[in-house]
Amino acid sequence: MAADLTGATGPRFAHASEAELARILDFYQVAWRYEPDVFPISWNASGAVVECFAPDFYLPEIDLYLELTTLKQSLVRKKNRKLRWMRLLYPETRVKLLYARDFRALMVKYGRLDFLGEVLGANGHGASPRSATAPQPSEPAA
Amino acid sequence: MTIHDDVQEVLLTEDQIRGRVAELGVELAHDYSDRQPVLVSVLKGSIVFLADLIRATELPLSVDLMELSSYGAAMESSGQVRILKDLSGSIEGRDLIVVEDIIDTGLTLNYLLRYLHERTPASVHICCLLDKPARRLTDIHIDYRGFTIPDRFVVGYGLDFDEHYRNLPYIGVLRPSVYGGAEPRT
Repeated sequence: MAADLTGATGPRFAHASEAELARILDFYQVAWRYEPDVFPISWNASGAVVECFAPDFYLPEIDLYLELTTLKQSLVRKKNRKLRWMRLLYPETRVKLLYARDFRALMVKYGRLDFLGEVLGANGHGASPRSATAPQPSEPAA
Repeated sequence: MTIHDDVQEVLLTEDQIRGRVAELGVELAHDYSDRQPVLVSVLKGSIVFLADLIRATELPLSVDLMELSSYGAAMESSGQVRILKDLSGSIEGRDLIVVEDIIDTGLTLNYLLRYLHERTPASVHICCLLDKPARRLTDIHIDYRGFTIPDRFVVGYGLDFDEHYRNLPYIGVLRPSVYGGAEPRT
């Protein structure tokens, strides 16, 4: 699948950093899918799903999910919490969280500091509509 | 002002590198004692490691080099990795040892391995000087590993930033101020 931030010929990415990661994966010919799966991580008393985790990318050849986080610390905390639940509930599923420092390191490695400046000017990582209003589960046991 | 001034910390000294490269050479010579491997390396970062490794490996080996376009440099042209310099000889039926300076995301190596396997070598093994697993985005099995390093931006001994620092004789952590980065949290 080819990266396209506009959504005209591919998925509409929530953030420019996701489109950039998709371009990197395309460049090195690593197959990817954008938000292909949704994992329920919280249910109410009647068994209805109240919160999900939808990792940004799935790399089918490697069987690995990738989740990007960028700037907002509140979103990072939220994603860390979701990831802990994800790992608790779906231990066989491999998910890697890329933090802002990881993305920055990628941009430094590829000499894309100009792009990094653009992303730093943006306002964090767009929250998924699926989870924006969902209740927050409590912390999983360690 | 010298290139050393941009180094925040020496991660691996010349002596440490020399000692480990010598050990890797002995390991390779032992494991390939009945074969004549081709050491395939990717320009430019691996050249210093390759030069020292082949001199530490007492085998009738041969060397071949490749160069691949990297993502950032190719932003204005093709959207996919290109082979800027291909292998000089056939590798069909040969035993390959891919010599890498550093494996972080593994994306380049992942591409390279697919390319090499299509040319039906007898075997392919990987020898890298530095393994930075924190950055890995692919599944790569490393057969011979010099050092596992933390998630720091390293230069020297062939590794560059913006084509500089390759000639440092040690592996050093580059000052974040040089590349406009922030120090990773530990």
